[in-house]
Amino acid sequence: MTSTADNAADRAERQGSLSVVRPADADQSGFETFIKITADGSVSAYNGHVDLGTGIRTALGQIVAEELDVSFARVVIVLGDTSRVPNQGATIASETIQIIAVPLRKAAAQARQFLISRAAERLELPIADLTIEDGLIRGHDNRSVSYGELIGDETIRLGLADDMPVKAVGSYSIVGQSVPRVDLPAKATGELVYVHDVRVPGMLHGRVVRPPYAGVDAGPFVGTSLIAVDEASVRDIPGLIAVVTSGDFIGVVAEREENAIKAAARLKVEWKPVPTLPDLDDLETALRANPSTPRTLLDKGDVDTAIAGAARPMRRTYTWPYQMHASMGPSCAVADYSEGCIRVWSGTQNPHVLRSDLAQLMDRPESAVEIIRLEAAGCYGRNCADDVSADALLLSRAVGRPVRVQLTREQEHAWEPKGTAQLIDVNGGLNADDSVAAYDFATRYPSNGAPTLALLLTGKVAPIPAVFEMGDRTAIPPYDYDNMRVVAHDMPPIVRASWFRGVSALPNSFAHESYIDELATEAGVDPIEYRLRYLKDERAIDLVNAVAERAGWTPRPVREEKEGDIVHGRGFAYALYVHSKFPGYGAAWSAWIADVAVNKTTGDVSVTRVVAGQDSGLMINPDGVRHQIQGNVIQSTSRALMEEVSFERGKVATREWGAYPIIKFPELPRIDVLMLPRQDQPPLGVGESASVPSAAAIANAIFDATGVRFREPPFTPERILEGLRGQAPARQKALATPPMPKPSSIWKNPFVRSRGVFATVGALCAAVVGIGAAMLPGRAIAPIAQPDASVYSTATIARGAELAALGNCAVCHTAADGALNAGGRALETPFGIIYSTNITPDVATGIGAWSLPAFERAMREGIHRDGRHLYPAFPYTHFAKTSEADLLALYAYLMAQAPVRATAPENTLAFPFSVRPLLAAWNALFHQAEPFKPNPAKSEAWNRGAYLVEALGHCSACHSPRNTLGAEKVGAYLAGGLAEGWEAPPLTSLSHAPIPWSEDELYAYLRTGESRFHGVAAGPMAPIVKDLAALPDQDIRAMAVYLASFGDKPPDTVAQDALATRLERETRVTLAASAGARLYQGACAVCHEVAGLPLFGSRPSLALNSNLHSAIPDNLIQVILHGIAKPAFGDLGYMPAFKDSMSDAQVAELVSFLRQQFAPDKPEWGDLAGAVGRVRASR
Amino acid sequence: MMPTKVRLNVNGTVREIDAAPDTPLLYVLRNDLGLNGPKYGCGLGECGTCTVLIDGIAARSCVIPIEGCVGRDIVTLEGLGSREHPDAVQQAFITEQAAQCGYCLNGMIMTTKALLNINPNPSEAEIAQALQYNLCRCGAHIEIMRAALRAAGQIAEVGD
Repeated sequence: MTSTADNAADRAERQGSLSVVRPADADQSGFETFIKITADGSVSAYNGHVDLGTGIRTALGQIVAEELDVSFARVVIVLGDTSRVPNQGATIASETIQIIAVPLRKAAAQARQFLISRAAERLELPIADLTIEDGLIRGHDNRSVSYGELIGDETIRLGLADDMPVKAVGSYSIVGQSVPRVDLPAKATGELVYVHDVRVPGMLHGRVVRPPYAGVDAGPFVGTSLIAVDEASVRDIPGLIAVVTSGDFIGVVAEREENAIKAAARLKVEWKPVPTLPDLDDLETALRANPSTPRTLLDKGDVDTAIAGAARPMRRTYTWPYQMHASMGPSCAVADYSEGCIRVWSGTQNPHVLRSDLAQLMDRPESAVEIIRLEAAGCYGRNCADDVSADALLLSRAVGRPVRVQLTREQEHAWEPKGTAQLIDVNGGLNADDSVAAYDFATRYPSNGAPTLALLLTGKVAPIPAVFEMGDRTAIPPYDYDNMRVVAHDMPPIVRASWFRGVSALPNSFAHESYIDELATEAGVDPIEYRLRYLKDERAIDLVNAVAERAGWTPRPVREEKEGDIVHGRGFAYALYVHSKFPGYGAAWSAWIADVAVNKTTGDVSVTRVVAGQDSGLMINPDGVRHQIQGNVIQSTSRALMEEVSFERGKVATREWGAYPIIKFPELPRIDVLMLPRQDQPPLGVGESASVPSAAAIANAIFDATGVRFREPPFTPERILEGLRGQAPARQKALATPPMPKPSSIWKNPFVRSRGVFATVGALCAAVVGIGAAMLPGRAIAPIAQPDASVYSTATIARGAELAALGNCAVCHTAADGALNAGGRALETPFGIIYSTNITPDVATGIGAWSLPAFERAMREGIHRDGRHLYPAFPYTHFAKTSEADLLALYAYLMAQAPVRATAPENTLAFPFSVRPLLAAWNALFHQAEPFKPNPAKSEAWNRGAYLVEALGHCSACHSPRNTLGAEKVGAYLAGGLAEGWEAPPLTSLSHAPIPWSEDELYAYLRTGESRFHGVAAGPMAPIVKDLAALPDQDIRAMAVYLASFGDKPPDTVAQDALATRLERETRVTLAASAGARLYQGACAVCHEVAGLPLFGSRPSLALNSNLHSAIPDNLIQVILHGIAKPAFGDLGYMPAFKDSMSDAQVAELVSFLRQQFAPDKPEWGDLAGAVGRVRASR
Repeated sequence: MMPTKVRLNVNGTVREIDAAPDTPLLYVLRNDLGLNGPKYGCGLGECGTCTVLIDGIAARSCVIPIEGCVGRDIVTLEGLGSREHPDAVQQAFITEQAAQCGYCLNGMIMTTKALLNINPNPSEAEIAQALQYNLCRCGAHIEIMRAALRAAGQIAEVGD
């Protein structure tokens, strides 16, 4: 059996065949095929449902092979392609095997019956004397004829007969056997399997830009919020084909995928403000406030009287959070629009529904649309697979070529129709004899429309929330209470929501199974025994007893108080998952016994073991059933313990895996699966059942452990602590941001002479003169005609290149994506924006007309060739110290470059900073144009380092604080400053790092871009380290010697290592007890956790990182928002930018956690949300 | 950034790519080289579906630009083996039926491979630690753990 039927289908066109079909529609104009056997003996079977990763392709193959008496390998299963398979509705409710496969099985039996009858005629033997083996019919006389031979070149079409007898279970040889999944070898070796892998000729790549009302799909603003799209903002992106808008739908199309990504990220879009949306921080209030219509599902006995007469009334409320399907692969589709035919390759769960949606979107008949269904990432319900199919089609129509659209992780998270929140009230209680007085159950489930997004965004469908009757799944409890009322309050969605594994049955069962546990506790009866008093279904009773026995359940009429910090508990829950339209029908029976360990100090809950029992009826592929049970146990444990969508002002705020964690390997329970042997019973759906008892079993176990009842998943550490302490968790209040520490004056710049009183007065006089001369132009130095670099030796030019690297000329004098040294880079200063100039030897726009004396004057005095003053953003205060020889070499190098014609934009400085002549006064105050003079008291290395650092290296230009006029403070040398929105941290004894800078670590940092005790070079420092690669090791060592002389003496290396190890051990993250901690674990830990599996790139230790210990959070925020796209060296690896994946509030929570966790001895940073906003706005 | 020619060594063959140097490796592997093994999952290095080996070390190809891959050995799922000749780790995952939808499978196999490169005899706890930042939504973890143990030679029975 192979996973593609294309070749078989082609061959089938040209040869005889036997098909079993049924009319496609009422007028019987077309037909749908279930089984087709061709003359070459190959078998194709067609099913309207699709494989969502559960392995139904394999199980259906077994069923067909069994009924047809052919080998499993001979059967090709075709799933979901609208042009080939029957319309059998959406793949939902675990009904593929239980319901949808029934006609397929009958069709196979019918084909076999036809063929064996024909063989009996052909061989002139009674049917009873014939046997079949893999499609070969044999008589007792050993004469045989194959299915293919019986078909020959005839085209035989049989109408599907409903009354066709099928095989008795006892005679099964293929069904009921464990068969390896047919799809795994292809998946394990990278063959083309998924819709994500589809590539068609001429295909372009699209991305969409979603509106700001993230995850909300109803309300008058939906489809009407777009004000403008600025296409010019993406015009420079190579290979951009189109920007497409329609209503609130926006898409971009490019030749290459990465360019579509860039265009979507960069496109400037103006939206109307999102109106105030319902606050979803308090789900109970939000759900009660949502308008609803009661629908009574059951009313038995006299509930009100029984409650009024109850000895111990009990009113309880259970709240279920919004959760996500959270497919591993964001949805993807390829569409090819043409007038004749529309083809869409899709991972949809409901191909025929999607076809109808797309026909509506395109104003075309359904027959013009063909959906080719491929596998996608598992979805467990409805994700964005349909949405992206429509997106791709809109873009394909706009550009007239096939377009592939891949949604981003952020879009899938924000816009997938959520598994909805649910609110359940149970009223009832106990009679005096501990029997159940009454059970009054009311459930609120705001779901389930979620029209395909493009229909709403383009205005094809009005954004009016529809009310679906979907809250009633398993709303009737499995217990036979005498007085019972069950009401579903049908209500429209609040945010975009649709079915998610277990639909409303999982929350409803959470309430049923928690409540009966509460009743049993009140009654002082063992919880299993109490259930059995009310459970009448024999198969349910068998299952409950079998699971109790397997787990070694010890009856406990009274809960035992547990001692110690870590308490253990055990809980039971049972459910028969009743699905589909009410009253619906049952899938497999399921029961759980969960063991938990609860840490009372931290609130951490571990589910340590689950015994999951299931009665699935006939199991087509027992291994497949086992995998489904295990998968359900793991996924639903994850949902119960940690999953909850968070909202900010009513909009979905979870956009990546840190904000929406799912269970990880170390958190897995041990799972013991018990499958009851019921091969003589009809097969039942197994895709969801084992999820249904999960949350209640865990909550009941937590109650057993702690004595506290939790009625609102997820059971996060915060919620457990809150419950255990009976109050809101103590939140640590953020302190106000401490002021930047006053730089100590212990380090003065050793190369700035202190001015005496007279000197200062003299300087001030000069300043006044400077102001007086403000209107006078400076002295111009005559231009030279043409630079002539040939007079300089290659060695001089090479030396100049090294010096240019030391001075980082190119870092400032090169614009993003601009030519080297051609200027135009915007430098933000406190006084306005200064654009760097062109320092290539272009005569008109660069420095081609500059003589050596003009260059030297600029470097030493900050004066342009034409006499204008240069702004000290150009660090001539440092460059002045450069030696004659080095300036000559640098000049030679600059003049030897290729000239580039480029004029920098005008500066935008505020008055009075825009008045250049005032700089004469500034220079008089702050500039000492004197060459470097070594200090004879210091070593040669120190003096060499001093020269490199102080002159061209100009380190203190960023690493020293500046005064209000922008001059370096002499008395706070290297005490830390700011550069381009980043902190240039103190390099002296004022460093905040827990391990002081040493000469060796300074050397390592400057040479490799990383110090194990401080972190990696990022932001503006990364290109500086990259440039320093031009310098020989001894120069880097000299810089380290010089810089280290301003630091405290570090401990020896053994002590440093010990300190590092201790800090890392003490700050190890073992628990995700806050939103910030979960963000860390989901987003950061993979690359930053100490001793994690090596990943490409470095693994900076957060416990030691200077930025986490700094007085200000700016560098940490910068690197989280913007990442490290351009490290000093590729070996260091790259850090992604989280600015489009986390909100300001989330970044603030993360930063707050990182500070507390990794710099526990430092005060909290205050107003982090403000700081994040400021840093975000600064770019 | 404008496209330039970048030479990459992928699965033992030098390939010349016409793409901007800041293009994430993932898109080049999938779109230019037609390799389906590495998958887009999050674009943030969080989930692990895009994992490849770079110089034998696990690497999240969605966050590594091709300019950082020049001169390095890149190996994808396809470079390990084929359906006919699967690598030992691939075979272990097939034998243990260690996937449901299979979207995470690439990352699980490649990360296991990277782990075994540096630790040929990992304990169960070490495997769980190494794989913990590879997410699986279907809950195939039990089978994946068994597959990794089998790949490490710790489950030996034939035909299990």
